[in-house]
Amino acid sequence: MIEVVQAGLETSVQDFPGRIGYLEQGFPPSGPMDSWSFRLANLLVGNPAEAAGLECQFLGPTLTFHSDSAIAITGADMTPTLDGESVPAYETIHVKAGQTLAMSGAVFGARAYVAVSGGIDTPLIQGSRSTFHMAGIGGVDGGALKAGQSIPIGSSTLPKRFRVLDDNRPPIHREPVWDIEVVRGPNDDWIDEAGHEVFFGSDWKLSAKSNRTGLRLEGPPITFSSKATNKPAEHGEDPSNILDHGYPFGAVNLAGQTPIILANDGPSAGGFINPYTVPTATFWKLAQSRPGQTYRFVDVSVSEAQILRRQEDAHCMVSSLEVILLR
Amino acid sequence: MIYEELKFSPAGDRMIEVELGDEMSFDLNFIAHSYSAAIRDSAIGGFIELVTELASLQVVYDPDLISYDDMISELTAIYSGMGKTDSLELDSRIYYVPALYFDPWTEECVNDYRANVGVKEEDDPDFLVRLNGLEDRADLRRTHSGTDYWVAALGFWPGLCSLMPLDPRCRLVAPKYNPPRMWTPKGTIGLGGAVTCIYPDQTPGGYQIFARTPMPTWDREQRLRAFHDRLALIKAGDRVRFQPIDQDEYDYIDAKVQDGSYEHPYVDYQRFSIANYHSWVKAITADGDREAAGD
Repeated sequence: MIEVVQAGLETSVQDFPGRIGYLEQGFPPSGPMDSWSFRLANLLVGNPAEAAGLECQFLGPTLTFHSDSAIAITGADMTPTLDGESVPAYETIHVKAGQTLAMSGAVFGARAYVAVSGGIDTPLIQGSRSTFHMAGIGGVDGGALKAGQSIPIGSSTLPKRFRVLDDNRPPIHREPVWDIEVVRGPNDDWIDEAGHEVFFGSDWKLSAKSNRTGLRLEGPPITFSSKATNKPAEHGEDPSNILDHGYPFGAVNLAGQTPIILANDGPSAGGFINPYTVPTATFWKLAQSRPGQTYRFVDVSVSEAQILRRQEDAHCMVSSLEVILLR
Repeated sequence: MIYEELKFSPAGDRMIEVELGDEMSFDLNFIAHSYSAAIRDSAIGGFIELVTELASLQVVYDPDLISYDDMISELTAIYSGMGKTDSLELDSRIYYVPALYFDPWTEECVNDYRANVGVKEEDDPDFLVRLNGLEDRADLRRTHSGTDYWVAALGFWPGLCSLMPLDPRCRLVAPKYNPPRMWTPKGTIGLGGAVTCIYPDQTPGGYQIFARTPMPTWDREQRLRAFHDRLALIKAGDRVRFQPIDQDEYDYIDAKVQDGSYEHPYVDYQRFSIANYHSWVKAITADGDREAAGD
């Protein structure tokens, strides 16, 4: 069992790949936004891939462990300490019953992940432990952690200690500019050529009004093609309105003139166009960028995006770990 | 229109948007659901799940198991093999949804909107009456509850359904709120465009509101029997019929919901045939034409 001493800003239980198969009823997948970091954390503590862990956003929690466990911390740097002593990220850490892990505000990056051997053992809701905060399901009582809660963990044997090789870690950086890959479509033909040039040629500022539902961007106006301005009435009045359709994961959803990148808890459907889509392998960048930072969009093809995904998956393998020899 | 050929567009590295047309019509939506059922039955390797919307599908696939181009070939072949529209049938349950029209909660919600968000000169029911050329609120209740509704799609929020009236004589329209409401009572029944919805939970919203049901359509605690194997009650391709109730009946049902003994009224022994539907629509429209000619 883990006791929540301080909850952090918004710490939630997530598993990978999340709640799959219920999209048609309106349930998004949820799950960790940076699944690269998340999967590495599970590997470090010897967990199966489906084990649940914690996603810590911007300000991490303080947790007391009530049994001997192995833990691992990956993703954003929240300067973790164990009983006041600094502990490394991307390494297996053995903790004794009674020890306390404290995490602070992110120095760089935005989301850190904590895995514990045995995994977090909250109830499965529609096949997943992931928290879908907005609808109040999954995780601990359907929401972010609160101080005083006890989090159940599964049983396990203590693994050896491992470290993630440097080249296999997501390159989370301090620089404020992020290159964000997008695939054109599904509704790229609603934007005219000048509009595409604005989208790919401009700096986009990540708004503070961003969360696991969507990342809101501030930038110049985008222009539309005749498909958007000359359409059957049932599509709606605004150029960005379309007959209700499914929203892809990572959609760059254009509501009026505000692009919102739909993230893990995003809506499954709605009435605005999605001219571009952020592919799976770029989600770690969405997770680790901070409000006020800048996005520059990079045009990639479907097959390039699929190659990027395979490259990311290849980092999330046991072969990315080295054994830490006891001194 | 319904397109001659499907239009496929990539939606990132593992989803495809399939457009069947660009109109809002029952026929197009019914074809979309029949197509979805055929895709699920065909068990293409690498197919994960899909969302059926008003005139399009969003298909999720595993790019490690099937390429974008191969997925499109499979989807095209399934569509070609579906046969004529009039031959299509789908299983379709009917849920009977008790509805208190012109209830105090939606009225309070509209007043709260007036006080805190935006301008609303008329109450929503009176606005709907005027806009649709109805006689009065009773006529609105009669018209809105006088048809079966087809569950065309679910989404945006878990269990939030888009309902299309099956009887063309009961078709109502309304613009959406601008700006939208900050909150809507759980169980509110609303109308936006030509679509009715039931708000599964207290959420923001934009539809004109005029009734409330005590019957839960979503239960995160899975307390009632209907939710033992799911969180959201209604599936796309089901039908819904609103049953007007009074405040006493509302309170009775609400008490049953609270004590956990409420049983959702529904029937599950029907197949919906589009051919039968078309001949019925033709018959009632012809009757209407004769009446109009007799006037």
